[in-house]
Amino acid sequence: MKTFFYNLGYFILEAFRTIRFHPLSNIFSFLGTGFILFLFGLVLMGWSIGDGLVGALQSEAQVSAYFTDQVGEAGARKIIDEMRALDGVQEARYVTAGEAYGKNRELLGNEAEILRLFDKNPFEAFVEIKIDLNKMDQVLSQVSGMRGIEYVRDNRDILEKLKGIVDTLKLLGGLVAAAVGITTLVLISHMIRQGIYHNREQINTLRLLGAPNSFIALPFVMAGMILTLLGGGLAAGLIIVMMEQGYSGINEYIMFLPLPPAQELCRLAVSAILGISAVLGLMGSLFGVSSIRKEG
Amino acid sequence: MIEAKEVALTYGDGTKALKNVNLTVQPGELVYITGHSGSGKTSLLKLLMGIEAPTAGKLTVLGQRMRKGNDRKLRKLRRKIGPVFQEFKLIERRTALENVMVGMRILGIPPRRMKQEAAEALKKVGLEHRLHTPVEHLSWGEAQRVAIARAVVRKPVLLIADEPTGNLDHDNALNILDILTSFRDEKTAVIITTHATHLIEGQAATYIRVKEGEITIERRGEA
Repeated sequence: MKTFFYNLGYFILEAFRTIRFHPLSNIFSFLGTGFILFLFGLVLMGWSIGDGLVGALQSEAQVSAYFTDQVGEAGARKIIDEMRALDGVQEARYVTAGEAYGKNRELLGNEAEILRLFDKNPFEAFVEIKIDLNKMDQVLSQVSGMRGIEYVRDNRDILEKLKGIVDTLKLLGGLVAAAVGITTLVLISHMIRQGIYHNREQINTLRLLGAPNSFIALPFVMAGMILTLLGGGLAAGLIIVMMEQGYSGINEYIMFLPLPPAQELCRLAVSAILGISAVLGLMGSLFGVSSIRKEG
Repeated sequence: MIEAKEVALTYGDGTKALKNVNLTVQPGELVYITGHSGSGKTSLLKLLMGIEAPTAGKLTVLGQRMRKGNDRKLRKLRRKIGPVFQEFKLIERRTALENVMVGMRILGIPPRRMKQEAAEALKKVGLEHRLHTPVEHLSWGEAQRVAIARAVVRKPVLLIADEPTGNLDHDNALNILDILTSFRDEKTAVIITTHATHLIEGQAATYIRVKEGEITIERRGEA
């Protein structure tokens, strides 16, 4: 440990020398790592947006239950009280026929004129039930079976399709994350091996002077970490620029999607990129220096 | 300090480099190993530094039994040895001072003391004006003196120099031998290989002559 602290400056200097002595291949390693991590950042953000979207849809997941003709307002309110007691029901609200008319008028927009053709309100009172999506089947069967309920309308198909899309996105994200990890590891360990090969004479001299493997390996490990962190910095910079330039534009185009705040998304991507680059840099470098034994 | 009993070294291709070597070296001893090129001088030094392991017999250096697969102990042993290699093995693109310091770094010497002692070692070999010169810009003789400074600065108990007089004119060769032998004291033994026997004649030392892998030992004066 004492040797490590006394020589910390030397190790850092040697790490930069290793990078400087083979500039071209190291520039490519840096750029390659940077772009791969940028890709990782993009996938991570897409993942986060998709996850947030599903979360938002899940929290808004609701079904509508319609009463039989015999049920009056008092009866309906009694049924609603029973519904509220069901496990999986987050909220149940009585919607009067007048309110239902207003809602549909709003939904129809310019087409709402068609409602004028009706002599009386064609819509019935119903109950809006916000549910826990994970307990959807259970709630639907219980609500459908209640006395006074004629039928239940749910948007299960849409929700399930959305959930499927997000699951696919998560799988893709996992695959891209794995690809990023493997590629970065290969790039960095290859770069380290190349450095070791070019410095084999120096390594041999250090061995003959009695240097332990850790002393020989540290500058190479540091060089790998520096390059990967620089690549991470490049990726983080690109993400920040992209978010500043393009995110508000996306928000304008797809206003119906509840996108998370740019700063939050940016912070997540940048911290993940830097964290993953540090981990991958260390791992790649350690894989790379494992060849020191053979070179010695 | 060094004890060899019936030591032999046969290389992988079947070349018998050393045969039946029996030898002891005491602390403070000055040893010259002489012989023609290819006689086995460098092979003997390789055994002493643990670069090669004996294929037969028993060799102990500074209390360490020399054999294969003893990497960790071997490196600890090497930290007590000051080697001056035939081809110097200086680290390129580093200054003379950096090269001398690298040998000290391994020992965990504090930076300020390290720099001071490395500069003093270079001064002792007459290179105080070359501290910050990259080693590839040094002459042959200067590079050799950097290698000597690197070896002695660690205050080794065993200083080993392989053909330090090769490629040097008479005066420079004598100068290098003087520098090397000046580091010998009660604790430190100095072992030098050379084929330039005319430079070392008449000195009080142990002379090991290597011929076709076999050695003969002659002790002259108080070595």
